[in-house]
Amino acid sequence: MLTVDSLTKIFPLDDGELRAVDRLSFQIAPGEVFGLLGPNGAGKTTTLRMVLGLLKPDGGYAEVEGFRTAEDPIAVKSKLGFVSASDGVYPWLTVREMLVYFADLYAVDPQLANARCEELAQMMGIDSLLDRRAGSLSTGQRQRVTLVRGLIHDPPVMLLDEPTRGLDIAGVQTIFEYIRHLREVGKAVVVCTHRLDEAERLCDRFGLLHQGKMSHTGTLEDLQQSTGCEHLVEMFIELLRS
Amino acid sequence: MSSHQFRGRLWRLCQKELRETLRDRRTIVTLLLMPLLVYPILSMALNRFLLASGKTVDGFTVCVTNEAEASRLDQWLSDPRSVPPQAILDASGGEMAKFQVTVIDAESSETFEEAVRSDEIDVGIQIDELDGPIPRVKFFAERGDANSQNARRILIERLEWLRFASVEFVLKRISPNYSEPLRIEVVDVGEVQSRDLLATIVPLVLVLMTITGAVYPAIDLTAGERERGTMESVMASPVPRGYILLAKYAAVVTVAFLTAIANLVAMFSTLWASGLLSLLTGESAFPFLAILQILTLLVLFSGFFSALLLSLTSFAKSFKEAQAYLIPVMLLSLTPAMLSLMPGATLQGAMAILPLINIVLLARDTLAGDVDAMGAMAAIASTIAYAAAALSIAARLFGSDAVTRTSEKSFGSMLRRPRQISEAASVQAATMMLAMLVPIYFLVSNGLIRFLQQIQDVAPIEVQLLFNGFALIMTFGLVPFAMAWLERNRIKTTFRIQLPHPTAWIGGLLLGLGSWAFAHEAFVIADALGIGGLSEEQVEKAKEAIDRMRTASPLVLLAAFALTPAVIEEFCFRGYLFSSLQRVVSPFRVIVITSLLFGLFHVLTGNTLLIERFIPSTLMGLIIGWVAYRTGSVLPGMLVHFIHNGLLNMVLYYQEKLDFLGAGFDNQAHLPPLWLGLATVLVLAGAGMMAFSKPPQPNLAIASS
Repeated sequence: MLTVDSLTKIFPLDDGELRAVDRLSFQIAPGEVFGLLGPNGAGKTTTLRMVLGLLKPDGGYAEVEGFRTAEDPIAVKSKLGFVSASDGVYPWLTVREMLVYFADLYAVDPQLANARCEELAQMMGIDSLLDRRAGSLSTGQRQRVTLVRGLIHDPPVMLLDEPTRGLDIAGVQTIFEYIRHLREVGKAVVVCTHRLDEAERLCDRFGLLHQGKMSHTGTLEDLQQSTGCEHLVEMFIELLRS
Repeated sequence: MSSHQFRGRLWRLCQKELRETLRDRRTIVTLLLMPLLVYPILSMALNRFLLASGKTVDGFTVCVTNEAEASRLDQWLSDPRSVPPQAILDASGGEMAKFQVTVIDAESSETFEEAVRSDEIDVGIQIDELDGPIPRVKFFAERGDANSQNARRILIERLEWLRFASVEFVLKRISPNYSEPLRIEVVDVGEVQSRDLLATIVPLVLVLMTITGAVYPAIDLTAGERERGTMESVMASPVPRGYILLAKYAAVVTVAFLTAIANLVAMFSTLWASGLLSLLTGESAFPFLAILQILTLLVLFSGFFSALLLSLTSFAKSFKEAQAYLIPVMLLSLTPAMLSLMPGATLQGAMAILPLINIVLLARDTLAGDVDAMGAMAAIASTIAYAAAALSIAARLFGSDAVTRTSEKSFGSMLRRPRQISEAASVQAATMMLAMLVPIYFLVSNGLIRFLQQIQDVAPIEVQLLFNGFALIMTFGLVPFAMAWLERNRIKTTFRIQLPHPTAWIGGLLLGLGSWAFAHEAFVIADALGIGGLSEEQVEKAKEAIDRMRTASPLVLLAAFALTPAVIEEFCFRGYLFSSLQRVVSPFRVIVITSLLFGLFHVLTGNTLLIERFIPSTLMGLIIGWVAYRTGSVLPGMLVHFIHNGLLNMVLYYQEKLDFLGAGFDNQAHLPPLWLGLATVLVLAGAGMMAFSKPPQPNLAIASS
């Protein structure tokens, strides 16, 4: 469903260049949750931005349901849902207006968009907030709104970038439930996070990213076998030391 | 997507942008509160200004202390001998200032002083020895009050005229030999300027207020989107960037237009209520039609300025950064705005195509009911063209990945040499080079002009010419080379120094031999169209300069005006800038942009703007730009440039000897048809040689990077 092959991004610097993502490859099937893990600056967000078509790769490609980002960005974008911790809201619009606007960006029929908006809002427990101005919402409420926004066009692939950053326990729990829901309805999910304990509980497979390169990939058992460590945290410390 | 669906979707996107903007309190402040507050205050200021200039409806208030004085003052002022001579009356619009004489209950001079100071009256007059042989008139006027001073001046002049006429009458009677010491005659030149300052200030204020209305939504809908963290989600959606930008543009134009309406209504209501409207239009009726026309112009202007604002704010990553970009633009907009206040500014020639100033002048003429059709069309067409250009830039910048991430560069890093060699200058470095070139060129060329004026009589003309060449090297040569060194650019690729195919040399030679004639024609046509033609004074100066040049050796002349510019300017425009721009835009755009820059720098000369040089220089830039693209090298362009400049200079140098070839070698006239035909053949042959020569070898790996 989502294939990333030899994806590379190089940023020029004053004294050379930075290989932010270096020949990265992985695949995700429907109903699978893939954890793209790594410390800050490992290249997780850059990878997602290239998949989304926000950054032009310097090598390799990303492919969603047979469409490559570089060749048909519009087709790829319409099949992707994206949620980021840094997502904002339009303070002067109501939650409903904002969700319908995003549905429109994804060419969802306005009537269908309204129905989906109600359905998803009920699922995420924000149905009472639909007619409130987005600027008046709390951090947790805003996060729920952005989760609904990511699903408004019912995409087959979801990309979540640090979805739990800045959230309290209740907020994190909401995200967990959301991801479980995504898996149940057959979405291919990529979760970028540096919260390894959370990832261990959530993801089916993992990719350990370090300095732009994929150092290990596989299920938790695969990683345990290849690294000799029991938990992701230990694997990571080993990785950083190496 | 069908056009119906497209329109429906675009409308919904526009609705969202408008909702967001119009619900924001800050928009409401600029949209409604500003006009409500500004105009009454402005009206008071205008009233004061008009009073100060003596343009009052009721006249100045003059006070005396009793009825007898009032009666005498009235008697003096109604005496025809106190009326100024016709020459003075004509100079002040044929109208006499009016005076309202009232009696104040004043027992001492202190009361007069207080009344003048508190602006109750403009001037106080006390007449001593009213019934004596020589009544003594004492004036009380306030020093800092222009109105009071005007009233005093006019009144004293009236009384002086009376005194003078009385004396002359007596003199004529007692001395039959009396003759007037002098007589005055006035010859008016030029046309009557019916438009006054107020008629320009009104549209100017409207234009500036429209700008104010557009600024906030433009920042909020672009840089604000980044700051709120919604930009990435919007850019991740499958809707083309152009749609989103178009919706934002429509919202900004709408707010700008609503601001314009609010301002127009508030302004004209205030002017009408304060009785100033009749001064503006010369009629007492409310000028509905003129207001409607001005409103249409403001729609046009909103469209242009909103696009300009969006192109700047789309580049900014935050509100603060957007404001930093907009402040210089706002200040720069004041310059053309001030130009429109210049006496005698008309909607013709260059003024008709200068952004902002053309709309102000057109609105002024519309109010006066005196619109020049050609000027109006040029103003409207150019404004639409500018709006389209700005919008296409905005569409390119809005949401581009270059501004999604924060730049690693700091101010310090701009001055540090990178470790790696690069094949061409970065666009940032090229922009920096241009930004430095303008002030350096201004300083060097002005300094040179002053220096040459000083040494004009002592130094031989050859030395002066060499200084000219030296100044060119110090600016267009040194600045790009210094920047290339600073950025560690490879000289060969940055300045595109590469031996071209041999046919390119022949093509360059033919193009150079033919193209000068077209540059000459472009200059003559531009002059005929009134686009910055030379005044008689300028022509005389140019002829003087040419006469001086003729005393120099033609070789020195060629070195200074043909060889040095050909080498130095080509390295700068078709070398450094060309290779830099090739990294980011298509060859066609590279040629157009470098030609426009080439044309603009030829306009800047010393402290004047030689607008007539823009079209010929830009055309020349297009030709040489194409040659530089076809050959992949800067060298054939140098040849074209050298021959072109050399021929133009030699034609001027040997002008008198060339008279036998026919009329037209005079700088201001068309060339003989035979010469134009020959030039066309040469240019076509040259272009053919270029077209059939080897296609460009991308010496430049950069072309594809």
